[in-house]
Amino acid sequence: MSETVVVAGTYLISYGLIVGYAVYLHLRRRRSQD
Amino acid sequence: MTRVRVLMSLAAVAVGIGLWFALTAPPDALQGGYSRLLGIHPPSMWVAFIAFGVTALGSVMWLVKKTDRWDRLASASVEVGVIFTAIGLFTGMVWGQAVWGTPWDWQDPRLMSTAVMFFVYLGYIALRNAIDDPVVRARRSAILGTIAVVQVPLVYFSVNLFRTLHQTQSIRPDGSTMPDEMLLAMFVNMGAFMVLYAALMVARIEVAKSEAAAASESTLAGEAVRPPRLSEVEDV
Repeated sequence: MSETVVVAGTYLISYGLIVGYAVYLHLRRRRSQD
Repeated sequence: MTRVRVLMSLAAVAVGIGLWFALTAPPDALQGGYSRLLGIHPPSMWVAFIAFGVTALGSVMWLVKKTDRWDRLASASVEVGVIFTAIGLFTGMVWGQAVWGTPWDWQDPRLMSTAVMFFVYLGYIALRNAIDDPVVRARRSAILGTIAVVQVPLVYFSVNLFRTLHQTQSIRPDGSTMPDEMLLAMFVNMGAFMVLYAALMVARIEVAKSEAAAASESTLAGEAVRPPRLSEVEDV
């Protein structure tokens, strides 16, 4: 596997985790306001 | 636009700039393109250290002042810190596989102390979820948050204190061992991660406030509802 793919994939997974957490917080806040 | 949205937008711009600096930095002569992981691995661990420091501050302040805001600050910072520690561990393992030839070394003090720190703070989250009483929950987690922070300097200085596969600090009082372009990319990403940390913290604290308000409202409704007494029931 080329190093470009590995580096890009690592960034993608890491930022994916952060975006996922931000979305989870958004949904949790909206549910508590309902 | 709410405060959370403004901060999240700022964080997205900062991360975009950071990514550009990280991915356009010249590759290292020995590590090749894997050196570009420096744009995410050290910044995520630094932010995790700051997050756990903020938790300790919030914990001590709760023990002194006993106000909800300090408990919210401490618990929010743990959650965000755990996310950044997970990213630090993951990116470190990818880099280790490429450069050291192994993603993990069970004998390595830096790797193992980071893993222990990660699980201790996961335990903090589990502890909070296991206790219903808000005061007991705040007190016990404040004690843990105050004690657990001793791991931060231990993890940071483990590369100086013990023999380890992990290299020692690249930035020292007598100068840096890194080229300027890589150093710049690392610092720009450090700034971007700080904005990201601030945005996630504000979002997490807003969730805690919103859930506390919802819980107090439901308690009031519950107290207003009571089963009818026999004397109040009319014969049909």
